[in-house]
Amino acid sequence: MEVKENKVPISEKLTDNENFLKEKIGVGTSFDLGVRKIHVLKREVHIYYCNGLCDTQYLIELLKQIVRINDNERQTAQAKQIIENRLVHQQVSPVHHLDEAVDRLLSGLIVIFIEGESTGFVVDVRSYPGRQPEEPDTEKVVRGARDGYVENIIVNTALTRRRIRDERLRFEILQVGERSKTDICIAYIKDVADPGLVELVKRELQQINIDGLTMGDKTIEEFLVKQGYNPYPLVRYTERPDVAATHLLEGHVLVMVDTSPSVIITPTTFFHHVQHAEEYRQSPAVGTFVRWVRFLGILTSLFLLPLWVLFVLEPSLLPDKWAFIGPNKQTNIPIIIQILLADFGIEFLRMAAIHTPTPLSTAMGLIAAVLIGQIAIDVGLFVPEVILYVSVAAIGSFATPSYELSIANKISRLLLIIVVALFKVPGLMIGTTVYLLWLIHIRSLNTPYLWPFIPFDPAAFMQIIVRRSAAGAKVRPSIVHPQNRRRQPS
Amino acid sequence: MAENQAQFEQNKRERPMSLLMKVMIIGFIGGVFWSLLGYLAYFFHFTEISPNMILLPWVAGDWKYGKLGNYIAIFLIGLLSILVALIYYVVLRQIKGMWAGVLYGFVLWLAVFYGLNPLFPNLEAVAQLERNTIITTLCLYVLYGVFIGYSISFETQEMNRQTQSPEANK
Repeated sequence: MEVKENKVPISEKLTDNENFLKEKIGVGTSFDLGVRKIHVLKREVHIYYCNGLCDTQYLIELLKQIVRINDNERQTAQAKQIIENRLVHQQVSPVHHLDEAVDRLLSGLIVIFIEGESTGFVVDVRSYPGRQPEEPDTEKVVRGARDGYVENIIVNTALTRRRIRDERLRFEILQVGERSKTDICIAYIKDVADPGLVELVKRELQQINIDGLTMGDKTIEEFLVKQGYNPYPLVRYTERPDVAATHLLEGHVLVMVDTSPSVIITPTTFFHHVQHAEEYRQSPAVGTFVRWVRFLGILTSLFLLPLWVLFVLEPSLLPDKWAFIGPNKQTNIPIIIQILLADFGIEFLRMAAIHTPTPLSTAMGLIAAVLIGQIAIDVGLFVPEVILYVSVAAIGSFATPSYELSIANKISRLLLIIVVALFKVPGLMIGTTVYLLWLIHIRSLNTPYLWPFIPFDPAAFMQIIVRRSAAGAKVRPSIVHPQNRRRQPS
Repeated sequence: MAENQAQFEQNKRERPMSLLMKVMIIGFIGGVFWSLLGYLAYFFHFTEISPNMILLPWVAGDWKYGKLGNYIAIFLIGLLSILVALIYYVVLRQIKGMWAGVLYGFVLWLAVFYGLNPLFPNLEAVAQLERNTIITTLCLYVLYGVFIGYSISFETQEMNRQTQSPEANK
């Protein structure tokens, strides 16, 4: 991809270079590309820049230094060396081909051509528009670091490096996208991560053939794990550098994509999606409690509604003491329709809340909670219990730490409700069995999705059920095949 | 430091033993977990059969019908499952993937409901059972089979992996 046979060398005549750039990238046509022409030691020097992507202050400083050469130096023959010396910046590198120069120019570096020389210089004065690290909305914690990844890959690697100063931490960069040339970085710790996995990820990334990665890491994920129409998230995203650093130390391989404020953690299982940084910011007992409550929430979001529908349809299944469950009033609309309507109603609300400005969404929440629910009952559309159970199930979804997982669970729940309504007990049992078997058969980067539940790994499963104290967690999870099993070198 | 090192070495030497240990734990947990779910299914009348089925033929006393009887039965099923897991370990562990487990669960169900039927006086012939009972127990057995089978075959593969690349476990 990167090796092109007929590369155009930099010409000693500056007009040739200028014409090439005019034709190739439209200097003079595109307003964001510009050139500054100055004379140094009786030679013409062209400085090309991309105005939004480079820092004007640095550029001016560099220009000052170069122009001053005329006052201090006399040796015209050594213009190239003198100019290189006066480029007061730590990242200066020579270029020999115009194509390479174009790539650099378009990523925000400045390119300097000197009359009579076939070598140019590129200086990294990039300054991309972007925001400062701030706490990610989706992974808030009560205590703990408030910085989060941003859209700039350099800042993201820096945030990670700040947490792991290990000499064996590697950030390998490559470019993907025929047109977008997006930077992608594979992060791993060399003596911990499974070299086979690093190799696999690298190979998959290199095979990507696409013109642009406008949706950032999501696009990469779809190539990486070949998701198809499987709704379940096969990789975990995080916007928190501390979570990312933890996974690096466990032996995971991270993929960072420029322009995405989240990184991809591979390999991932179902149970990676039900953990949250908050559990590790509280004491182990509290963390364990929070986790159990969360598991309960997730199970509720999946199975409460199908079970309730089943008991409404076949009240004889209930033990005598539980006979109060089920609608007391006569209903006008079949329960199954009511459930589906209410569930979709909540989905409307959720979607509307995403793209409604905050002041309006408060009002919207009010309308939803007070008016719709109550009136739907008053007019006889819903029985009160439908509202209750659908709400509890919805709150269970919201308690799922991974947004992707909660939506996937929602789809599974709808399917389960429908098979229960159609086939009663056999529907529930066969539906659940097929659902579980299907989850079991999923493999993400050769990792069984339901590990460590099925296939069962006693030690690893304990780590899921109980949030271990940092001092008690002695070994890295075996599923990432760490080269170095023990966390605490003794 | 030296102590830890020694312990570490010890772990390495006992590796085959620890796989067997794991298989037994897998069997026990699998038996307890899925029969607990079976008890839950019985509680909600999905099935007429509760875990205490295995107690009924040879235990006297009324307690076997109550909660206590069921919990003891669940524990016993856990112990029996160790045997089930060991059989899988001996016969089928080299088969990769989960489908052998599915089949194993199905065969187990056939064995219990057809083969061992005469042992359980309270267990009616399959033809007389409710449809719900048959489907529920079959599903539970299949999941139980996958749990045991897939876990064991996965552990075996991991073990093979480690012996193939000894430096992977330094």
